[in-house]
Amino acid sequence: MPLILVGLNHRTAPLDVRERLSVIEPRLAETTSALHAVEGIDGAAVVSTCNRVELVISTRDEDVVTNLVDWLAERASTARTELEKHLYVLRHGDVVKHLFRVASGLDSMIVGEPQISGQVRKAFVTAQQLRTLDSLLQQLFDNTMRVARKVRTETGIGEHAVSVPYAAVELAKKIFGELRGLQVLLLGAGEMGELTAAHLHEQEVKQVFVANRSFERAVELAHRYDGQAVQFDRFDENLGRCDIVIASTGAPHYLIEPAHVSRAVEGRRNRPLFLIDLSVPRNIDPAVARVGGAYLYNVDDLQQVADANRELRQQKATVAEQIVLREVDGFRKRLVAQDAVPTILELQQRLEAIRTAELEKCLRHVGPITAEQRTALEMFSTQLINKILHYPILQLKDATDEPQERESLRRTIRKIFGLR
Amino acid sequence: MSFALTDMLYVALAAYALGTLAALLSLFVGEKKRLQNAGLVLMIGGFVAHTIWIGTICARTGHPPLTNLAETASFVAWVVFTVELALWIRYRVYAVVFFVYPLVLLLLTISALAGESFRVLDPALRSNVFTAHLLLSTVGVACLFIGLAFTLLAVLQDRALKRKTRGRLWELIPSLDVCKRVSYRLLAVGFSIYTVGLLAGVLWQYRTTAELMDVRAKQVGAVTAWLLFAVLLESYIRGNYQSKRTILLSAGAFVAVIVAILGIRG
Repeated sequence: MPLILVGLNHRTAPLDVRERLSVIEPRLAETTSALHAVEGIDGAAVVSTCNRVELVISTRDEDVVTNLVDWLAERASTARTELEKHLYVLRHGDVVKHLFRVASGLDSMIVGEPQISGQVRKAFVTAQQLRTLDSLLQQLFDNTMRVARKVRTETGIGEHAVSVPYAAVELAKKIFGELRGLQVLLLGAGEMGELTAAHLHEQEVKQVFVANRSFERAVELAHRYDGQAVQFDRFDENLGRCDIVIASTGAPHYLIEPAHVSRAVEGRRNRPLFLIDLSVPRNIDPAVARVGGAYLYNVDDLQQVADANRELRQQKATVAEQIVLREVDGFRKRLVAQDAVPTILELQQRLEAIRTAELEKCLRHVGPITAEQRTALEMFSTQLINKILHYPILQLKDATDEPQERESLRRTIRKIFGLR
Repeated sequence: MSFALTDMLYVALAAYALGTLAALLSLFVGEKKRLQNAGLVLMIGGFVAHTIWIGTICARTGHPPLTNLAETASFVAWVVFTVELALWIRYRVYAVVFFVYPLVLLLLTISALAGESFRVLDPALRSNVFTAHLLLSTVGVACLFIGLAFTLLAVLQDRALKRKTRGRLWELIPSLDVCKRVSYRLLAVGFSIYTVGLLAGVLWQYRTTAELMDVRAKQVGAVTAWLLFAVLLESYIRGNYQSKRTILLSAGAFVAVIVAILGIRG
């Protein structure tokens, strides 16, 4: 049964077209059901993210694409010809490869982004609950999720942060491992600093102290992170008890000097201190980096980490593509073999029936023979039909993934061997 | 030594060599995980053969294989890998294998090259104190060796973070905190066991020869290693974590232990 995917994404369609077709999560079930109701469709699922909308279907009728484009055009309230410019249509093996790549984050705007596999899973689970998946789509999505997991585990493609705030969190993890239980000092209320503090807060740090020139603003921010506001002019008293310090003020001079950090580190015994300077001009004296046990990163350093990570993801994507190709081939072979099973069984039964009948006929002619002679004849005839069947079965199992060609091969073999 | 038993040692050696090669090659290829897993499986295969070899000797002689250089090097390698395996199960730190696998291979190669047959311990040497000395020193050394590997990882991680550069091991090294915590624990535990092992050796020597120690490579190496490990541990406790000093101390302690092991022959 053919697989077809019709869709558009950030590369083929502008935002205004994508947003007209985008399916918000609460409406995913309804949309999937509506798609399944389109004439000629056997199985259906809808993958929708902010960057793509894709209809994945299985059908006996390849002309159903026309119905799908009409259905999409109607939903987007757009002329069919207008929409067609942005659409791509994939078939059979290309659908498998595309879906494997999408779920693995290889087709995303930011390569390796982790959210996409969750969104594909959502499409899968929704369609499963609505029973709009036939066995082919069920297998396809099962394998898609497995391949996405495999790509992430084997390449670690999504492990590296590609934005400055996340790069800071990644480095914090490289220093402290587990961030739970750490104390953070946020100095100032710059946008980037706030964002970094928010990401650290998501990692369940123990406490966020906020120091700002405006104490009211410090209280407001501290409330947001379930933290504690401290007086700005006394922030250095908290340096020693904090593991991560984020400086993000508008001050035109250094607020943290090496002497502050040396004092803080001394009191921390072996525990490191991670200082993140997101201010321009800088608020932490670069000489602080020379203090043992203190690790200082400014906004440029973090940007470099993010850039290096982006490059690393690209390298990992090459490895991931190889995994995807292997998996597509494996999936194709399994499907083809599965598809060929009824014909192979029939073929074997047919030849076995001929063998048994002809053997009996032969034995009647020959007259009484010994048990050993009968066994030898049985063995000979069985081996003979196995040899005859070997190549047709191989051809059936190793056929192309193009359904029409496969069907044609099956028909030829059935005709040659006189199957129904 | 029977033919089959020697074969088992060579099977272990071959598996360790291939496992080490796979692990080291994984540093230079794209699909690291496959080679790393292959390396681990080969090392575990080698470990099984190694265990059979050691187990058979124990069964035949009635004591651990620690009577000569071949047996000691092999037994230390076995304990090192056992500790590494336990730590791998607990922390899943792959980077440490780049130090541990070659070390295990080196020790087993020494064992194979020494070409000494396993021996039944001289009845005159059989005593609980002597057995305790051998076993505790070996286990202590194994913990200290892996502690050193984690110390080196901590130094590499510290440098990478300070210099804002990444090496080939960056992704494989766990957090600085884990490296320091595990290395400190291993050094502390290993040093304590090693100290008791050395004291048991001194006690046994005194009982046997009425002298506290000989001035031979084995003893000098063992005591030098003890002193260097003590300084290393002290620097950890004080929090004076300085890369260059730590590397020098670690290298010195490692060489001293190897000298002590090789000195068993003398």
